[in-house]
Amino acid sequence: MMVKLFFLEKLNLSLIIKTLYLFFFVIFFSNTNSESYVKAGESLIWDSENQSYTANGSVEFKNDEFVAFADRMIANYIKQDKDEIFTIVELFENVVIEFKDEIFRGNYAIYTRDDNIIKLTGNVSIESPTRLLKGNELIADIDNNKRILNSANNESLVEVLLENNADN
Amino acid sequence: MINIFNTKIIYFLIILILGLQIFIYFYNQNSLTKSFSQKNITVENFSSVVLSNSGITKIGSEKLNKIDDNKIYLEGESYLENKEYKIYGNNISINLIDEISSSEDSVKVINSMGTLKAKGFKNIDYDGKIIFFGEVEFVIDN
Repeated sequence: MMVKLFFLEKLNLSLIIKTLYLFFFVIFFSNTNSESYVKAGESLIWDSENQSYTANGSVEFKNDEFVAFADRMIANYIKQDKDEIFTIVELFENVVIEFKDEIFRGNYAIYTRDDNIIKLTGNVSIESPTRLLKGNELIADIDNNKRILNSANNESLVEVLLENNADN
Repeated sequence: MINIFNTKIIYFLIILILGLQIFIYFYNQNSLTKSFSQKNITVENFSSVVLSNSGITKIGSEKLNKIDDNKIYLEGESYLENKEYKIYGNNISINLIDEISSSEDSVKVINSMGTLKAKGFKNIDYDGKIIFFGEVEFVIDN
């Protein structure tokens, strides 16, 4: 009887610990994933008259949709009630945008919040787990899950099958 | 005999206490971490308001040093606060004529978009620009 009670208590304690662990795990990851930020290696200029932020040097920008990396970023914002919201984000040089399992690369990118579209230009590529496409311009329509890859001519549009899909 | 001895001890203690007080007084007169050629005025635990391009800015610090009519130096923990931002930093210089404040020490800024941390800043108030130096992290409120 004593042994049974001992194990029951141990089981209860174990359940409580697991529940608490799950609770804190969910809280922690829900917060870290939803956090938006701008990081800059060299400087950040807040221009309140022109309502913009300019970040320089190893810039990292994260919002609800994607994480972007570039050498320079200019983000324009508007004031809504008491909050400030980014409306247009421009990224310059060595642009890398990670969106779910896709990686977009280019020399310049512009994201517009209103239509939720990312447009990249200059040596553009789109890499997914199965393929790599290269061109001159990429339009990624996030809401409609559509990608348009343009090129100056047919020859400059390149499709490369990645290794993990080559066997299929 | 005992009374004379006690009186001497009391005198000695009074002199010792007075000496200690003089020592403490002079020891607490910390010199400024920055030296300025002009005569300055120092006020401790200071707070005031400044009218500038961005409106009324509340300023405060552990120690305020007035360099001249146009320049003040906020020594130690200091802040600048107005309707657009709250800047919390250390050792902030303010030029009232040029409307420029700056610091080379770590700074934390809270505005209506989020919280920003940087290694230093230069606030060009007449232009509505704040330049943050070094590694900058700006966490945006959702």
